[in-house]
Amino acid sequence: MSSVANPIVRPQWALLVGDSLKQYGPWHTHAKLIEARNAYPDDLAIRGYLEIIRNMIVRELLSHPKGLQAVPKLSAEFLTNFDRFNLNAQEGYLISLIDGRMDLQKLQILSPFDPFNTMFIIAKLVNERAITIPQ
Amino acid sequence: MTTYAIPLLDRLPTPIAVVSESGAIEYRNKVFEEIFGSDAKSWLKDGARAVAGERGWLQGFFLAGDDGHTNDVEIEGRVYRIDKIMSIEGYDTPAVALSFDDVTRQREAEQAKSDFTSMIVHDLRGPLSGIQGTLEFVLSQEGTKLDSLYSDLLTEAQRESERMMNLINELLDFSKIESGNFVVEPEPVRVAGVLKRAVRSLQSVAARDEIFLLSAHGRDIPQIIGSVEKLTQAIINLISNSLKFTPKKGLISVAAQIVRTDNMPETIVITVTDSGMGIKAEDVEQIWSKYKQTKNKSLRGGGGTGLGLYIVKQIVEAHGGEVTVASVEGVGTSMVLKLPVKRAA
Repeated sequence: MSSVANPIVRPQWALLVGDSLKQYGPWHTHAKLIEARNAYPDDLAIRGYLEIIRNMIVRELLSHPKGLQAVPKLSAEFLTNFDRFNLNAQEGYLISLIDGRMDLQKLQILSPFDPFNTMFIIAKLVNERAITIPQ
Repeated sequence: MTTYAIPLLDRLPTPIAVVSESGAIEYRNKVFEEIFGSDAKSWLKDGARAVAGERGWLQGFFLAGDDGHTNDVEIEGRVYRIDKIMSIEGYDTPAVALSFDDVTRQREAEQAKSDFTSMIVHDLRGPLSGIQGTLEFVLSQEGTKLDSLYSDLLTEAQRESERMMNLINELLDFSKIESGNFVVEPEPVRVAGVLKRAVRSLQSVAARDEIFLLSAHGRDIPQIIGSVEKLTQAIINLISNSLKFTPKKGLISVAAQIVRTDNMPETIVITVTDSGMGIKAEDVEQIWSKYKQTKNKSLRGGGGTGLGLYIVKQIVEAHGGEVTVASVEGVGTSMVLKLPVKRAA
């Protein structure tokens, strides 16, 4: 019997992430990478890929024609049926600041969270249709 | 030792000796005897002793396997590169065959080169700082109406002077690394503070290039022991690198998180992530090597020394950490730094 230990086979993350982005988009890829991070907690590269996707999501939000001056509003769906949205404490706090007048820059200043995470949470709220950012 | 081996070893121009674990000489060739005489015993015995908890240099050769072990050791005012040839069996105690190569001149030449680079770099930095200060002053005068052409030209001059300052700083760091003067002086480090400082120092450059630069760090990031100055410099190098390859309206994020897993000691993971063009798979391995650059063209003009990421790697490794990179072509790149948490007392 061979005494050579089986090498740990690491998935080729770059290819998997690229394919997933093309087929399913950033949010699905983000969810899959969180699963991967939990399955391979010591693989630091996964954290890098996760940051690439989070960066992509926030950049998409900031690519709004008005950039940081864009003003988010609560969606009609959220106003009529807000208990459908399973918000965590951070999301709940940020959504409580949205009054239809404050722009992204002011939200970033007022938020107790760091600037990047504030923008990421807002992007998540947009994706879940709890808020909208009119053009 | 076989009879024919002794005359053969005696004809070699390199000093060779078989030394036991205690530093006793079991065999030495003629050149060894000519160079070191009988005094060799004393410094070999010193090398076999641990001093203040630090292992003696000779002990390292007994712990290493037979795939070679090298150590530069100062002996009687000269520097010798000592290589382990092989372990020798047949003596009462373990013994190793060592070769002694005099590298004193080589080391002196390296030191002279490094001193010269440091001197030139220092001399270049002075006048360049003056040019930068003047440009900044002229461009910041709100009351002065500059013709847009002159304003653009001055901004371009400012950008190029910043680039030149970065190149000079990289050369200075590189010369310190090469001369062995790159030492981490330990102090308590607030990692979140390091990220903020690095981001703040490049915020105006990012804004000028219409790039978003945001930081992300949890509140639970502990203080570590390291060098504030060097870690800030590593993050600045990474952000500067990202700025070169991130297009307008792009995003650079700088994040830190604490990672606790069953198989890994408590670790801080810092990521500098950009929405640039990504790195080709074949280039990923070489980006941390000196003078290596990817085939990607900088979007801000001009090249670099190819030392920025090499310096980052040296800084992180001096802190007992590791570097790695994640990249998706056409989407972005994330530089990942892993730093062990050695908590400040």
